[in-house]
Amino acid sequence: METTNINKSVKQRRGKSKFKPKKGLSGWIFILISVILIFLFYFYPMLQALLLSFQSGPGVNLEFAGFENYIRLFSDSTFLTAVFNTFIFFLIQVPLMIVLGLIFSVMLNNKKLKFKGLFRTAIFLPAVTSLVAYSVIFKYLFSNDGIVNMILMNFSIISDPILWLSNPFWAKVLIILAITWRWVGYNMIFYLSALQNVDESIYEAARIDGASAFQQFTKITIPMLKPIILFTSITSTIGTLQLFDEPMNITSGGPGNATLTISQYIYNLSFRYTPDFGYAAAVSFAIVAMIVFFSIIQFKLAGDKK
Amino acid sequence: MRRKTLLLLSFVAILFVTACSSSSTSNGKGLEELTVWAWDPSFNIKALEMAEEEYKAEHPDFKLNIIENAQDDIIQKLNTTLSSGSTKGLPNIVLIEDYRAKSFLEAYPGSFYELTDKFDTSDFIPYKIAATSIEDKNYAIPFDTGSTGLYVRTDLLEQAGYTVEDLQNIDWNQYIEIGKDVKEATGKKLITNNHNDLGILRIMMQSSGTWYTEEDGVTTNIANNEALKIAFKVYKDLVDEDLMNVHSDWSQQIQALNSGKVASIPIGNWITPSIKAEESQTGDWAVAPIPSLPGMEESVHASNLGGASWYVLNIEGKEEAVDFLTTTFSSNVDFYQELVSEVGAIGTYIPGTEGKAYKAKDDYFGGQAIYEDFTNWSKEIPEVNYGMNTYAIEDIIIVAMQKYLQGGDLDTILETAQEQAEKQIR
Repeated sequence: METTNINKSVKQRRGKSKFKPKKGLSGWIFILISVILIFLFYFYPMLQALLLSFQSGPGVNLEFAGFENYIRLFSDSTFLTAVFNTFIFFLIQVPLMIVLGLIFSVMLNNKKLKFKGLFRTAIFLPAVTSLVAYSVIFKYLFSNDGIVNMILMNFSIISDPILWLSNPFWAKVLIILAITWRWVGYNMIFYLSALQNVDESIYEAARIDGASAFQQFTKITIPMLKPIILFTSITSTIGTLQLFDEPMNITSGGPGNATLTISQYIYNLSFRYTPDFGYAAAVSFAIVAMIVFFSIIQFKLAGDKK
Repeated sequence: MRRKTLLLLSFVAILFVTACSSSSTSNGKGLEELTVWAWDPSFNIKALEMAEEEYKAEHPDFKLNIIENAQDDIIQKLNTTLSSGSTKGLPNIVLIEDYRAKSFLEAYPGSFYELTDKFDTSDFIPYKIAATSIEDKNYAIPFDTGSTGLYVRTDLLEQAGYTVEDLQNIDWNQYIEIGKDVKEATGKKLITNNHNDLGILRIMMQSSGTWYTEEDGVTTNIANNEALKIAFKVYKDLVDEDLMNVHSDWSQQIQALNSGKVASIPIGNWITPSIKAEESQTGDWAVAPIPSLPGMEESVHASNLGGASWYVLNIEGKEEAVDFLTTTFSSNVDFYQELVSEVGAIGTYIPGTEGKAYKAKDDYFGGQAIYEDFTNWSKEIPEVNYGMNTYAIEDIIIVAMQKYLQGGDLDTILETAQEQAEKQIR
């Protein structure tokens, strides 16, 4: 992020004043360090992973396999299940999280609200907890005789305990609940900070013109927050497609692959089964392709012409 | 300006030099010290500490550097280190679960030191040698047995009018009938199981000498695996008759046992310490032989679940590691007596299992000599080749089981599973 900024400013400077080697040199050297490090620790491993994805075999017995790994993806029903699950999470999770984040941020931005700091902290706090720690706690809360089942049964909402972790449907619900709890506050903070920059006079003018609170929300708040909504939806998309910690720790992908995600499948291929690092690399490139695809769609939907 | 540039350049240069030079430091480890990776402090680690003491008597300078890690972490560390091609950071000895052993041996040829002729294989229970060898080449000193038994609550059985005697030489269908009576009399379910861990299927399969793969360890054996089919049916019956409590992790399983939620569990003998942890149930438990698979003539009342062995890595210090292992785990009878009486670890070293400590009676189990029973059953465990894909196939079977429990046709489900496994394994 920082590098690209520096990069830009250097380019702009050079563009204006033609090529002045002496002035540019120290700037270039500043960038050089991060450029070298990024090439060494980002691009080189990426290239190696790409090469690896064209090989196949157990452990170190890798052989060149051409596109075989990529062809195998389409007939691998476990992979397809993982993609399907990830999409279910993605389709429900991202809109849910963004809508909730928006609602909370607008509510907390209310000038008349008391104890604002307390509420903001309370909603943001889940985002600073460790992924593994909260996953383990969720697992216990939702275990067969856990507190959630106990409460639901005591209120006579259900008669038999829900097998949250052993039922394919409820396990998915649980994962979505967990991620929503963990990440809504995180997205909310972005909206909240963006809302601080919205000029109050716009709302005032709207009120004078007789706009209802809902109209203000849809006609002013959302358009003003559009770039931030785009940003959070892209980061949430990437986060959901790379989802690993929660299913790994809460359900370990089960029951019967019902909550298996693509990232977890990569883990299984590399460490749980006889390792096939080549195929695992191919699966990870499938994620890259999907993230690029969805980010482009989101840009298009948001109508960003730039 | 120029000076600053130079300064920066030299800074970059220093960064590089330091980055490169760190790789040439040698490890100054003396050969008197061996490193071991293992899991479970109350079982494997304790056994190692005892072995170290034993070996120190003759080699006073000897030191064992025991590194305790969760099993999953050991697998991960081994995979990453071995695939990197570097031997740095590898231990001299590592404990590997029998189901996974071949996966490591085949995936990293030459990384493990061959132990053929370093110890007498006839001293060990045969199924254990089969699990640790590839084409008659031995790669490990066998350690504990996962010999299975049916742990039952005798007090609950009594309420339904049964005794442990009624559990001898029965098959699973008969046991389900008993389970229905127990449930009617006590309201307790018969067993507890995790739908995501089908160890119970592995017990049933090995009791009749079959596995997910055929004897070569490679050919998938699902669609035409009669034992697996029967095991699926038994499993579904247990679920349909509401005799199975469903847990989702280890602690819930222990809780189900210790809180008296279920009347029994078919499992490996390594569960003993966890069951005995609940002191209020002293005298209420007994261990019966596991039921056989109905309609399978080959099926015996003995099987295996889990169990691990010691592997030596093919790096500097391998000879010393072999010497350490062979003087303790494969030749010391007294050592095995201590192991069973202090740790409760049942070995697979036959001369060791004939000692006194194995005949000890346990009051927790109503005075039953459980170690002797487990040892006797372990000698009947049919040999199977676990191959290198047990867990990969089991994940496919777990999905198949879900489909079957939801009411699918067994033959079609297993055929799909077979196709899928064939695709995945090559």
